[in-house]
Amino acid sequence: MAITRTEAAAALSAIETTQRRGMTLRGYRLGGPILMLWSLIWATGYLTMGLAPPELWLPVWLALDVVGVAGALVLARAGKPAAAGAPPGMTWRLLGGSLSMMVFALSVFWVMKPTDPAAAMAFPGLLIGVIYAVVGFWAAPRYALIGGLMFGLTLVGYFLFQPWLPFWMAAASGALFLSGVWLWRR
Amino acid sequence: MATSDDVIHQPLRLKIMAALSAEKGQPLDFPRLKAITQATDGNLGSHLTTLEKAGYVAIEKDFVGKRPRTQAKLTPEGRKAFRAHVEYLRAVVEAADEEA
Repeated sequence: MAITRTEAAAALSAIETTQRRGMTLRGYRLGGPILMLWSLIWATGYLTMGLAPPELWLPVWLALDVVGVAGALVLARAGKPAAAGAPPGMTWRLLGGSLSMMVFALSVFWVMKPTDPAAAMAFPGLLIGVIYAVVGFWAAPRYALIGGLMFGLTLVGYFLFQPWLPFWMAAASGALFLSGVWLWRR
Repeated sequence: MATSDDVIHQPLRLKIMAALSAEKGQPLDFPRLKAITQATDGNLGSHLTTLEKAGYVAIEKDFVGKRPRTQAKLTPEGRKAFRAHVEYLRAVVEAADEEA
């Protein structure tokens, strides 16, 4: 059976769309457990901010970030079948991305010197929220919803529950955990 | 120029072949294949059977704990046929563009 140009172009487009959807769903499956891990890191970090003296905050967060990045690398490697076509250079992308975010956050604190601890606590939530939202709008729509949720929860905590902000942020990590489950189950 | 593969060219079977081809030899389980192709259970099952009969897809059934699991993957013949069909589609588009 001979087919027309229009039919051939439509078939090629269907192939591309299907493969892109498959890649997105594979990414969700890979990203879900990583998000769950980071929700635990966040809960631990914010509980530390709520319960421990300020001089412990930075070293604890730095240690937690190292654990989070290492854990994400392990999960990414474990979740990617060797031949399943995940993008190459995953390790470097994860390392580079995480390092960039950490350097950016530390630089902002260094330059802006926030005197209000609540502002310093809210900043990571807003940063992660906007990064997820951008990723979502460009590549994987579910991340836009998760980013929006994190952004919104951070603002609600900052404006309405400021005296209890670290505990609010630790509790909001539960939403991040559930978001990870939501991604992973696809 | 190669010819069209009528088994593959049916829209849902094309999507199934495209999804499995992207897995590079790894099997896909039924729910994920359903999500990727956006097919219904019945449709997906019947078209998978057609592809299996053509020798393009291998279906494996096993149990994860007590839950039955169905997985599908491309056979070497299926991979070759899909590649040839995609080349045919590209050739049709290119030939029409050159004529225009």
